[in-house]
Amino acid sequence: MHKAFVIAVREYNAAVRTKAFLISLVVFPVLIGGSVGLQLLLKDKVDTAEKRFAVIDRTPGEKLVEKLAVAAQARNTTEIFDRPGGKQIKPAFTVERVASGDERREAVDQQRFDLSERVRDGDLFGFLEIGSGVVELAGLPPDAADAANDDDAPPGPSPKDRFLMRYQSNSPTFDAFQRWAEKVVNEAAKESRYAAAGLPADKVKAAVRPVPLMTKGLTRRNTATGRFDEARDENPIASMLVPGGLLMLMFMLILIGSTPLMQGVVEEKMQRIAEVLLGSVRPFDLMLGKLLGLVGVSVTLAAVYLSGAYWAARHYGYAEFVSVEVLSWFLVYLVLGVLMYGSLFVAVGAACTDLRETQAMLWPVMLLAMVPMFVWMNVVREPNSVFSTVASYVPTATPMLMLVRVAVPPGIAWWQPVVGMVGVLAATLACVYAAGRIFRVGLLMQGKAATPRELLRWVFEA
Amino acid sequence: MTRANDTAVVIRGVTKTFGAHTAVNDLNLTVPRGTVYGFIGPNGSGKTTTLRMIMRILHPDSGELEVLGRRTMRAANDRVGYLPEERGLYKSMTVRNVLQFYAELKGVRRARPAIDEWLERMGLAEWAGKKVQALSKGMAQKVQFIAAVVSKPDLVLLDEPFSGLDPVNLETLREAVLDLRRGGATVIFSTHDMNVAERMCDSIFMIYRGKKVLDGTLESIQAAYGSDTVRVRLDSNGGVPGSMPGVLKLTDFGRYQELRLADGVDSQAVLAALMARGRVSHFELARPSLHDIFVRIAAPETVETAGNNHA
Repeated sequence: MHKAFVIAVREYNAAVRTKAFLISLVVFPVLIGGSVGLQLLLKDKVDTAEKRFAVIDRTPGEKLVEKLAVAAQARNTTEIFDRPGGKQIKPAFTVERVASGDERREAVDQQRFDLSERVRDGDLFGFLEIGSGVVELAGLPPDAADAANDDDAPPGPSPKDRFLMRYQSNSPTFDAFQRWAEKVVNEAAKESRYAAAGLPADKVKAAVRPVPLMTKGLTRRNTATGRFDEARDENPIASMLVPGGLLMLMFMLILIGSTPLMQGVVEEKMQRIAEVLLGSVRPFDLMLGKLLGLVGVSVTLAAVYLSGAYWAARHYGYAEFVSVEVLSWFLVYLVLGVLMYGSLFVAVGAACTDLRETQAMLWPVMLLAMVPMFVWMNVVREPNSVFSTVASYVPTATPMLMLVRVAVPPGIAWWQPVVGMVGVLAATLACVYAAGRIFRVGLLMQGKAATPRELLRWVFEA
Repeated sequence: MTRANDTAVVIRGVTKTFGAHTAVNDLNLTVPRGTVYGFIGPNGSGKTTTLRMIMRILHPDSGELEVLGRRTMRAANDRVGYLPEERGLYKSMTVRNVLQFYAELKGVRRARPAIDEWLERMGLAEWAGKKVQALSKGMAQKVQFIAAVVSKPDLVLLDEPFSGLDPVNLETLREAVLDLRRGGATVIFSTHDMNVAERMCDSIFMIYRGKKVLDGTLESIQAAYGSDTVRVRLDSNGGVPGSMPGVLKLTDFGRYQELRLADGVDSQAVLAALMARGRVSHFELARPSLHDIFVRIAAPETVETAGNNHA
């Protein structure tokens, strides 16, 4: 056991006292922070060049396009700046009125083609048609709607076109204009319909105003004062962020440490260091030492990241989501997960003779580690569903998924993570045992990587 | 004194196979304590496998090994030092740290004074703080040697310790090995250098295709092979004719020629026959060198064994 400790100390020092470790220590938060920061930074870095849109208003009197033009004018003077007189952060929209003209099919198609050509030439960004019927009280008759949905309908104005807005552009991903125009035209169309129906606009608005919904947590009684405390605001994003963040951290910690460990084993094989080591240490002690060193590295990393994350959570008022219980389970599952996956990585390293070979051998192990990443959203949404419960008892997934279930409010029964821990412990012992057998034979093997069949033989033969 | 205390290594009927290849076949060997024992044999004949089995890194398929009086199958004996054929040092560690690490693995708690002493002796003192990757091959080999002996083992196994060393380093290492024996340790080393084996070894063991073919002191081996070799130099007429009755093999070394005689042939009769042909300026009943014996055993099939290189 003393020798395993000597190995562990060397592994720990070899891993921690390197530039690569310091870099990886910084890289992870920088990646996360950087992607968020970059998005915030780039949010205002939009193309603010003026965009020109042709609008054909087929409603009688062409009132809607007028309103749209006025709204665009108002928007261009105020909304597109971050503050009055400040920097422009959105593109200005210019509305160009185009006469509706002939409503026959060929004429409409010709007009659409001409405008499309102008979009292609860069003269326009897109064009909008407002159907003649949108201000009418009666909408599209149901049977006409069915016919209009027929994809085989010939081009040109269909009955449906009368009751909708139609926007054509070659930049479908730019949706700011659609969203803005849709709102403006709808407001204007509604006003017209109120007037047509003889209803007072202000009364209708008051009658149809939406009812807001507020989400709260559960009410508690304050034991000190005996009064009921106001339930706190529930923030679904934050209550998803913590389990998701812990899951990511667990995944990263397992991979950050295990990959260099495996490379180290391959290096020891290639440099024939393994033979010297085996002259002094039993293979199992050697592997155990490596795994203990790895646990040390992972716990060090976890301590750095978690204290950083905890500080950030306190700073931004999310500390209540990170309970001592969750953190304790994180550490327990981290140690077990690192031992389990670490032993598999070590076995892969011992079975290969150079780093290239490890790529092929590693993917089944990587897949096991990735599966929880694919399903964690389901588990967060319904932590107590049958699927989530069963999935969190699969030992290779338990360290990540059970942790998620513990971290999602309101949590799960206390015995569930305990049972999960027992399962992981058993799987970890099995993995360490099997890896130890592979390690023992594989370390001295040179030449080529072992086949899966050979690996099985190494594990089960005496 | 019990028998176990007199012998460092006892190998009884040991066989080790790798798949279809038999690396060591029913081997018996006894290495007394306090001796320097040389293992020789062509590449792939089973030397390294034997050393690894003594080291307990490999376990025999059958037979048993007794190392320093113990028969337990525990690997990693702290009293045995090992220098493997292929050097293994962590490249990014400093010389002193890697030696410290290996010493601690042998259970030595305060290895620093011994390490510094050895580095001094090997002329590596100023390299102690340098990384292993900065060392030349010869220096790395000396560091590896220190790693094998720094824990003051009772038995030292050295696999090809002298290969690739310049004469100065070779002499330093040779002195160190002999010092180990003076200190009471048993040293077993394998080598391809027959000169080194002749000069250093109390006993020599040759393994060929997994079987023991020679075992004993140099004198006893030479005596066994020694009565049939004659070195001659003839004046004037250029040398010994290609074929002579009673001569199995003739090797021309330029300055002299070596004749191997058939069994039962009297060397005096050969001398008489030579004198009848010309003037004999040199006639010597030679003891064959280890080199000759080695080649005599292994030469006919070295080509075959070279292709089957399983060390």
